[in-house]
Amino acid sequence: MSSIAFVTVVSSFLASSVEFVEAVTIVLAVGVTRQWRSALIGVLAALVALALIVGIFGTAIVLLVPIGVVRLVVGGFLVIYGLQWLTKAVLRAGGARAKHDETAIYQREIAALRAEPPVPATGMDWISFTVAAKGVLLEGLEVAFIVVTFGASANMLGPAAAGAAAAGALVLGIAFLVHRPLAAVPENGLKFAVGVMLTGFGTFWAGEGIGIDWPAGDAAILALLAGYVILALLGVYVVRGRFGAARMRPFAASREP
Amino acid sequence: MRYVRAFFGFWYDFLVGDRWELFTGPIVALFLAWLAVRASVPAALTGALLFALVSAVGGLSIAWAMRR
Repeated sequence: MSSIAFVTVVSSFLASSVEFVEAVTIVLAVGVTRQWRSALIGVLAALVALALIVGIFGTAIVLLVPIGVVRLVVGGFLVIYGLQWLTKAVLRAGGARAKHDETAIYQREIAALRAEPPVPATGMDWISFTVAAKGVLLEGLEVAFIVVTFGASANMLGPAAAGAAAAGALVLGIAFLVHRPLAAVPENGLKFAVGVMLTGFGTFWAGEGIGIDWPAGDAAILALLAGYVILALLGVYVVRGRFGAARMRPFAASREP
Repeated sequence: MRYVRAFFGFWYDFLVGDRWELFTGPIVALFLAWLAVRASVPAALTGALLFALVSAVGGLSIAWAMRR
């Protein structure tokens, strides 16, 4: 496996893990409070829709759009998306924003579902189906976006999809075994790592798209990634200094709402 | 019409959200770097410029978020 293929798999895997953890929280809440069968059918429907989106858009982009245009547009989107994740992770690690709390989200989701009409005695529970399908589809669209953009830029749609599928299988497998939200996943740390990767690769590809002939070729990616890591850690240090969150472990899962 | 609005609303929230600077900033950064490429600035400098501009956008957004 080439180094680009490896990085594509890892990036896609990490980004997808975060989104799958969020989707699993919703599905667990639906399954526990209402009906597992309808919730799982909803999950299946959403996964089929996502596979179609990745297959159709990914293949169309790779086959129909010139690679220079793909790298400029998609690289630009990766920078935009990567910066959103990275800046949010920096603010959370520095204590300026509350960290994601899957347990609190799970409790809120359960309370909302209990307020719905009761589960029908027979047949499909469409509330379970809709909530589970919508949750997986919305969280999954972010995965699809990353898989399509990352895969198309590097011409690595297969490895990107494989990374996402592996993350989905792992998160769903663990959730199936433990039957509760995966609150121990260091979501902020994952978002930090993925934010750096998306921003670094996006800068490289968008740069190629506008005609930058990067010195040292693909090795420039490593320099970009290292540069963004250093600046992001510096950002955490500055934010922490301002918000006095020095006692917090920056990338650990947390319990605050 | 409702679905069209919802469709574009979804993508607006997805890509722009409440931090418009993270959407427009990289576009401006890429445009400035493209101007540098057109002006035949050496590739290493143009690359460094793009990196610096993208980093500046991130730094600016964090600074704004801290003030809010």
